[in-house]
Amino acid sequence: MPLRLYRFLQAFIMFALVVFIGFKLFSGTLSLYINLQYMPLTVFGIITLAIMMFVIIRHPGLESDEHEYSDSDHQHDISLSALIILIVPLLIGVLIPVHPLDATAASTRGMNVSAPLVGSSQTREFQSAADTRNILDWIVIFNSTNDLSPYVGQMARVTGFVYHDPRLPANQFIVSRFVITCCTADASAIGMIVNWNQSADLKESSWVEVKGPVQASKLGGQPIPLIEANYVQSMTQPDQPYLYP
Amino acid sequence: MLVETVVDIILSMEIPTRRYGLSRILIWIILFGVITIILYTSLPSSTWPWLGQRLSVFAAVFLGIFIEALPFLLMGTLSSGLVEVFLSDDWLARSAPRRALPAALVGASLGLIFPICECGTVPLARRLFRKGLPLPAGISFLLAAPVLNPIVILSTATAFGWGRMLLWRLALSLLMAVSVGLAFSIEKDSANILRAPMFKMELPVLDHPPAYETFMQKIQRALVISADEFFEMGRYLVLGASLAAILQTFISQTSLLAVGSGPILSVLIMLALAVLLSICSTVDSFIALGFLGTFSFGSVLSFLVFGPMVDIKSILMFLQVFRRKTVFYLVLLPLLMSLLAGLAFNYFYA
Repeated sequence: MPLRLYRFLQAFIMFALVVFIGFKLFSGTLSLYINLQYMPLTVFGIITLAIMMFVIIRHPGLESDEHEYSDSDHQHDISLSALIILIVPLLIGVLIPVHPLDATAASTRGMNVSAPLVGSSQTREFQSAADTRNILDWIVIFNSTNDLSPYVGQMARVTGFVYHDPRLPANQFIVSRFVITCCTADASAIGMIVNWNQSADLKESSWVEVKGPVQASKLGGQPIPLIEANYVQSMTQPDQPYLYP
Repeated sequence: MLVETVVDIILSMEIPTRRYGLSRILIWIILFGVITIILYTSLPSSTWPWLGQRLSVFAAVFLGIFIEALPFLLMGTLSSGLVEVFLSDDWLARSAPRRALPAALVGASLGLIFPICECGTVPLARRLFRKGLPLPAGISFLLAAPVLNPIVILSTATAFGWGRMLLWRLALSLLMAVSVGLAFSIEKDSANILRAPMFKMELPVLDHPPAYETFMQKIQRALVISADEFFEMGRYLVLGASLAAILQTFISQTSLLAVGSGPILSVLIMLALAVLLSICSTVDSFIALGFLGTFSFGSVLSFLVFGPMVDIKSILMFLQVFRRKTVFYLVLLPLLMSLLAGLAFNYFYA
């Protein structure tokens, strides 16, 4: 492949990557892939790629001498394969519809009932009103507190997706959220058991709001909060489906 | 070895020769089409929603790893480009310690100066080899730098506190990296270990750099070099991220975690998870913390030591720099040492 064409394609792929990730950034969908705490790094990446692209377009004649020591024939094909492979993330991002992790992922990853998730060294104050706590707050309380009695009976109001854990009886389900520490590769599902007679009618992965008093329960030998629901209402998926510790 | 055969197959698939390159690509496309049609007509219709759900999980995990690792890879190739431009060719060769042990120790602590994680170490190590870094130093750098660097020390301390987990993680990583570096120092001819002789590595450098360059020209040259290297190494990031995402989509962590709580099995499972998850070393402590409830100290420690040294992305990148046999030992030695360490802690340090 002529060098200038190769440089042009390189710059084009970099441009596409910048646009693709930049679009995720500005449309807010970046949070479906990474913890936004790491967003500055992504911005750094976009800027670096943009600068590299600019330099390559300005100086398309600068050539790497990869072929100097070896037979020049297949070196350009290696470059070609690099171009093709780096299009793959763009194709995956464009062709497969954006969909946050749901009960399908929870079933292979498992319900992480015991995970402390947030640093055990960090002691949190749980002065917050019971109905403002999310599922993660409740799980942290249940994993870091020995005496649960002040919390039992408090009215919880949480949102999450429905997960029918095979270990549960028909009148129960788990209201679940994914916790993202760094990116979706480390996503772990946490949840609270919900006692609700019409559990079987709830569609897996659909989003619900649950209200009711909290009880202490166990799942697989681990303590887990349980909600004696008196209100379960389906809702649309929130803009931020994940929780971040 | 089975592993080496698999690697052979992967490598031979990947590089189409020039003359038949296009025909081969065509053959793959046609085969893909044929298989798709056969599958589409023969599989029961319930397969498709099932596959669709899995596909969206795959896409979410893959893009997560890719977007998260991209800046780290860029940091690695940027440092590599800057080293190429600003470090004179013989400085490292002259000043690096020649004896094996000091060289390995220096290599292992280089991460304190170049704070990059495992996605960035391979391009930089390759560049440093080319600039004359001794072999044991380079290998110790590759294995130790993802842990022995300020960012990872800080994140480990945030997750576990300034305590024994941090201490043992650092100590064991240093010990393992140095001993693997020493093990390779016995081989005097680097051609038996590296894919190409150090001074001739096929790396992006620029043809005939002018005798005198302004600072801006140097920066431009560094940027073009790191862009080329980004494309070269980015391939392995994409392949590694897809493999990891496929494994995460289809292998059930639940069943994996349910298998073992015994002192031996738990270590093996944490080691398998380290490879399976392929998480960046800067954040793996937070994940490991989640396992501390179900798994023993020794098992979690082996996860924290082994994970940064070897995962799917880094294996693929290693193959660019080292001979296959070397990569095999670069994976096996840390694996066995982490296993030993995990077992020792489980039995004697409970």
